[in-house]
Amino acid sequence: MAEKVEIPVQKWSGRVREVTLGATKEEGGTRTRSVTVGGEATLPFLHFEGELPHPPRIAIEIQDKKPEEWSPLLLKAWEEVIDDPAAWAKKAEERGADLILLRLSLDDAQGEENTPEKAKSTVRRVLAATGLPLLIFGPGQVDKDNELLVAVAEEAAGERVVLGVCEEKNYRTIVAAALAHGHLVDSRTPMDVNLAKQLIILIHDMGLPLDRILMDPSTGALGYGIEYGYSVMERLRLAALHGDTMTQQPILVTPGEEAWRAKEAKVEEGIPEAWGDWEERAIMWETMTATALIEAGADVMVMRHPESVRLVKEAIDKLWVKEG
Amino acid sequence: MSRFIATRAIRGANRIVQEAEDLLEKALAEHGPDTKVTFPNTAYYLPVILGLTGREVATLGDLKPALAQAGSLLHPVPRDQLWTPYLGEALDGGVATLLAEEAIMGIKYALGEQPERLDGYPDLVTAGGEGYCNGPIDDVQLRAWGIQLVDGRMPGFAAIVGAAKSNEVAVKIVRELQMRNILVFLCGNVNGRSIIHQLLEEGVELGYDTYIIPFGTDTISAIYPLGFATRSALTFGGMKGGQAREILLYNKFRVFAFVLALGEVDDLKYATAAGAISYGFPVIADTVIPEILPTGITQYEHVISMPFDDIEGQDDLERAERLVQKCIEVRGVKVKIAEIPIPVPYGSAFEGERVRKDDMRIEFGGKKARALEYLLMRDPDELEDGKIELVGPDFDEVEEGGAMDVGIVVEVGGRKMQKDFEPVLERQIHYFLNAAFGVQHIGQRDIAWIRISKMAADKGFRLKHFGEILYARFKGEPWNSIVDKAQVTLITDPEEMKKWLEAAREAYNERNVRVAGLTDDAVEEFYSCTLCQSFAPTHVCVISPERLGLCGAYNWLDCKAANQINPTGPNQPISKGECLDPEVGRWSGPEEFVYQHSNQSVEHVTMYSIMTDPMTACGCFECMVLVIPEANGVMIVSREDPSMTPAGLTFSTMAGIFGGGLQTPGAMGVGKYYLTSPKFISADGGFKRVVWMSSFLKETMPEEFKAVAEREGVPDLIDRIADERSVTTVEELLPWLEEHDHPALKMPPML
Amino acid sequence: MALTGLDIYKLLPKTNCKECGYPTCLAFAMKLAAKQAELAACPYVTEEAKAQLAAAAVPPIRLVTIGRGERKVEVGNETVLFRHDKSFFHPPGLMVRVTDTQPIDVIEKRAREVADYSVEYVGLELRFDGLAVENASGEASAFASAVERVRETGLPLILISSDPGAMEAALAKSDGTSPLIYAADEENWEAMSELAKRHQAPLAVLASGLEPLVELVEKVRGAGVEDLVLDPGCRGFDDCLVTFTHIRRLALQKNFRPLGFPLIAFPGEGANSPEEEAILAGQHIAKYAGFVVMEDFDPALAYPLLTLRQNIYTDPREPIQVTPGIYEFGKPASDSPLLITTNFSITYFSVANEVEGSGIPSWLLVADSEGLSVLTGWAAGKFDADKIAKTVKSTGIEERVSHRKLTIPGAVAVLSGELEDELPGWEISVGPREAVDLPAYLKIWKP
Repeated sequence: MAEKVEIPVQKWSGRVREVTLGATKEEGGTRTRSVTVGGEATLPFLHFEGELPHPPRIAIEIQDKKPEEWSPLLLKAWEEVIDDPAAWAKKAEERGADLILLRLSLDDAQGEENTPEKAKSTVRRVLAATGLPLLIFGPGQVDKDNELLVAVAEEAAGERVVLGVCEEKNYRTIVAAALAHGHLVDSRTPMDVNLAKQLIILIHDMGLPLDRILMDPSTGALGYGIEYGYSVMERLRLAALHGDTMTQQPILVTPGEEAWRAKEAKVEEGIPEAWGDWEERAIMWETMTATALIEAGADVMVMRHPESVRLVKEAIDKLWVKEG
Repeated sequence: MSRFIATRAIRGANRIVQEAEDLLEKALAEHGPDTKVTFPNTAYYLPVILGLTGREVATLGDLKPALAQAGSLLHPVPRDQLWTPYLGEALDGGVATLLAEEAIMGIKYALGEQPERLDGYPDLVTAGGEGYCNGPIDDVQLRAWGIQLVDGRMPGFAAIVGAAKSNEVAVKIVRELQMRNILVFLCGNVNGRSIIHQLLEEGVELGYDTYIIPFGTDTISAIYPLGFATRSALTFGGMKGGQAREILLYNKFRVFAFVLALGEVDDLKYATAAGAISYGFPVIADTVIPEILPTGITQYEHVISMPFDDIEGQDDLERAERLVQKCIEVRGVKVKIAEIPIPVPYGSAFEGERVRKDDMRIEFGGKKARALEYLLMRDPDELEDGKIELVGPDFDEVEEGGAMDVGIVVEVGGRKMQKDFEPVLERQIHYFLNAAFGVQHIGQRDIAWIRISKMAADKGFRLKHFGEILYARFKGEPWNSIVDKAQVTLITDPEEMKKWLEAAREAYNERNVRVAGLTDDAVEEFYSCTLCQSFAPTHVCVISPERLGLCGAYNWLDCKAANQINPTGPNQPISKGECLDPEVGRWSGPEEFVYQHSNQSVEHVTMYSIMTDPMTACGCFECMVLVIPEANGVMIVSREDPSMTPAGLTFSTMAGIFGGGLQTPGAMGVGKYYLTSPKFISADGGFKRVVWMSSFLKETMPEEFKAVAEREGVPDLIDRIADERSVTTVEELLPWLEEHDHPALKMPPML
Repeated sequence: MALTGLDIYKLLPKTNCKECGYPTCLAFAMKLAAKQAELAACPYVTEEAKAQLAAAAVPPIRLVTIGRGERKVEVGNETVLFRHDKSFFHPPGLMVRVTDTQPIDVIEKRAREVADYSVEYVGLELRFDGLAVENASGEASAFASAVERVRETGLPLILISSDPGAMEAALAKSDGTSPLIYAADEENWEAMSELAKRHQAPLAVLASGLEPLVELVEKVRGAGVEDLVLDPGCRGFDDCLVTFTHIRRLALQKNFRPLGFPLIAFPGEGANSPEEEAILAGQHIAKYAGFVVMEDFDPALAYPLLTLRQNIYTDPREPIQVTPGIYEFGKPASDSPLLITTNFSITYFSVANEVEGSGIPSWLLVADSEGLSVLTGWAAGKFDADKIAKTVKSTGIEERVSHRKLTIPGAVAVLSGELEDELPGWEISVGPREAVDLPAYLKIWKP
């Protein structure tokens, strides 16, 4: 007689918090729908073991002006809309985005300094063009981030936008702006479990409720340190499931930005033949970075190429089959 | 609480509630209950009433129950012979006062009598209009300032009530506050004269742009700042109307505001002040009033009296400066220094720079002179924050390339400062001074050695700049979380130097004794260090007074200070909990903590044993201790020693096998000062188990080991311990030990 | 419960004979406990001790080898569910399938392509591992001749047929190469087991569902075959993730012997496109496959997949290192900026990305910090003034730049003085602490 196989089912004492991005009219905003992530009571896609109320979601990254430094492949993919963030957002929605991430630049298309007024107008137009919840990231310079994000937080009051990025060296103003206008924040730390946790605590200490914080532990791209990001995410998720409350935040990662920075995605010339077709490989570089991170526990993935988005969404659909 | 204050506050409260009720009756009669009541450009109804009672007042009629609630909070004025705790009653009165005051302002807005018009001051332009006081701060401005208050760019706000001694003093007080980025709210008067008049007469620009807001010349307009505070809690704290307790606590802990009462304090001011105290805002008066010092409702003192003319100072201006300083101190407002005022570049990029003999203008310490560094804790009241004093001549008279004595004495105070943090802070002096371009710092305590380059001296760098650097850095992040006040004295005068040298040496000695006396049994808490988890995810250092971190960089005191400075950082207190086994050093607290923080992979840990559940090793350990079963003892290999050991493993091989957060019975990474601790593997026989030790250790810590040998009762123990110069294999080790009659050979078997 | 080094030491002869290659029994015991040595190296260990040690040392997932020689593939022997718990040890074999219905030249071409493909990644040669030949024709002779052709590549093979007769013919043509026999099923297990024993080849066992699989495994083991590979019959994203997780957990956490074998996956059968196949293969790499058999081979998909495998199977306890030496960005001239950093891969990548992104031609020296980052390296004495000076002197950079100005990372500013002593004639300037500030720094750099 065969041995009876007893399927091991792990009992987890904790679960990830649910975080809702965006607000519909009933919820005080203007989005056509809001998106809730998190809530996991087990490891990614192990439906048999615990509740997994929400699948991972994809945010397509758009910029307030044509990002000249992006790979030509990306510029080509968004060619008709790349000069107009509103049209870009709309197109991104058509191409399957669940969320739109708008990145503000230091300078506008004319090379002049970006200002709070300009940023507000961009946000206004993007909000009008898409019904998806928005994430808005600053250009990544402390003073400029604070200046622009405070302004756009006011412009988007009530929309439950995710403001980013909060880093240890600069989070207070962004959190304050989120507090003032009912938004969420992205808490980013450099690939370390304890640092991730610590920044969540600091942000929470300022009075922002935990259901308004996404945890962004950063990652490297495929071939550029993805294994660090991957393991840190797995460890964070395990800690969350083991009941460590300050790690129980949904995870946001930016595989698009990371992968498209890699030479493998960016460059056409002067590369080994063994790398194969440029476009195919570049798209796969972003796709594989993203799918690996989903398996490690990512809840929101910020991506860039519409074809990668399609492939990752397909994979998510196939993984999102609940047994029984 | 002083009976005097309570009496007057309660009396003031009774009167203002009555006044509000009368006013409301009249308004109701004349205009009807449906008359709209709103504050312009805000969406919080009457915010104090909304916040504290949950009532959304929109009409005159809505005010009636609000005032009834205020009335219910009133208590009779205490009679002379009655002795009850007045605090609660006075605070109730304060809250009643605020409700009444806001009701009055609401009615006045309904009647078009607010904001207040100030005749004769055409320069007055505010959000309330030309020639008008401001009225409530509008929502847009609330958010803009609120963000800065929350993110810390603005330290807090000051509500000034009354009038200053003179126009000059009024301007000085406001400038001092402005300089520190503190919002200034103005209201009230003394005998008809208000600080608003004083500032306008002196041409001070008021309004949102200058962060100085005139609310009105009566005491009642003090309700607007409190409305601002309430709305901050509703906006930034996510509170709802009616969550009175939460709103008050939010203000206590997050809104750094205080009331500065200038001039005589009447009943209504006392009553309003009692309301402010409920928000956790302390009151500082420049007149004689009874103080309420014991803390509780506010974070620190409740009421401070600093009679203006009694403040130390050369003139009124200096007195005004001190007064503001005191306010800031009482509320615990942290003010940062943006730039260090020294004539050379400053930054960590210059930390490692050398000043060579040829480039040197002068040196302190070294072979030819003495340099002393001494940091000590003082009562904050004894300190003058920012004072930098040079006692004796500067170095201008010393020839180029010469040397002179210097003593650097840093005195710090703060509510979270502890005597135990003195050495931790003192050690920072090295890093702080080294970061100045053209300054080289070596050593510490009374063996410090500092050089200043010719270039730095040519640019004007002088001794007082040491003071500027130290002051700015100790008042900067993260140290300002324990240092509220600091002053620096530079001493070159021989007599003074001698005096301080003695004092410092005595203090060093005391510290040494204190550290020696700090035992694991004497404390309730150990500390964790999880700094290394980025590469050793299961590693948790448990640091106790008698066992420092295995990297050698953190001892128990360091951790304690680090936790105070960064409460969410890698050094967390671990309550010892129940002692499960005193022999091996097993407590329930560390066991639980290590289990939880090692990704639930290390179930047990002991403090004093290498054989039973020893601590994990990350990879940073200064020394590796490994059992040598053949010799019935252990060997200690230091990081600096590259040679082969009797175990057949080099240091780096052992780091590879035992590091990364593993727990390995028989092997343990340690900081070298743990070797000298009485608790060093005390469960396994202690230091007498050491049969082999890298010569580097013997040579760099001879005195320390000598003392250990004495303690262990084998004075020549160190000479009986083999090292790599005589023994590199286990075969050589045994005869060597026998020859030297090593005590471990006669001890009970380890395995 | 794993034995500690001291437990093992107690079972050893304690003679310090050194024949195991270690100077002491304790050193050997500690190495054994860390799974960095084999018990077999000790000639004197008693049978009793051996039994005790072996019981503790039996890997919960059996190590299975296919192929011989340099390109053999070893899979299994995994000890953890998550790589951060220790490491994943044996990267899954990536195989490409051909069928015996394809024209011989197509088969040969594909086989050559796979055999010759190699791509460089941080100084490593990444390659696919082998070929799977499927008996789609149902003919033994076609199968045998296809196998005969691909055998010439020298790559490890998987032979796919449910017909023992065809399998026997193919095995005859691949004798001495230890191919994986795929697969024993409910129908043919007895014959396949015989073949496996006779040819000393590992055997795949195929059954849908865990209980039927366990039942079949027990039968095959009963027939005397121990080198097994399991196919639980799942093919898609979700069922493979769940089933493979069950099997890995049962093997590791419950020490459930019947499932303590490597798994084989066929992502192409659960995918609608080559891209999807590659994505699913990626999942199998991260989540527990021992062999992954691909339908498609395309360098643009192979390279990312190989990189992912390399990354996931990197030992987290040992950082990836890049080769120390001189790296050039843009075409640096003799008066271009010269920077130095460590050979920890993440450090190198962040610096290299920023320098490259700055568009300013530059020289980058990479010091051998043994894979430590700048601060850790400095703290551990692997990136100190001495090491930096040695790197400058030994790389020959002095002949390639005309200036004598070296920029060190801001985090080790403290080394500048000492370095000027070690490198007479050099000016040491302190760069930014964070790599992202490098472009701004390089813009204002002057020789």
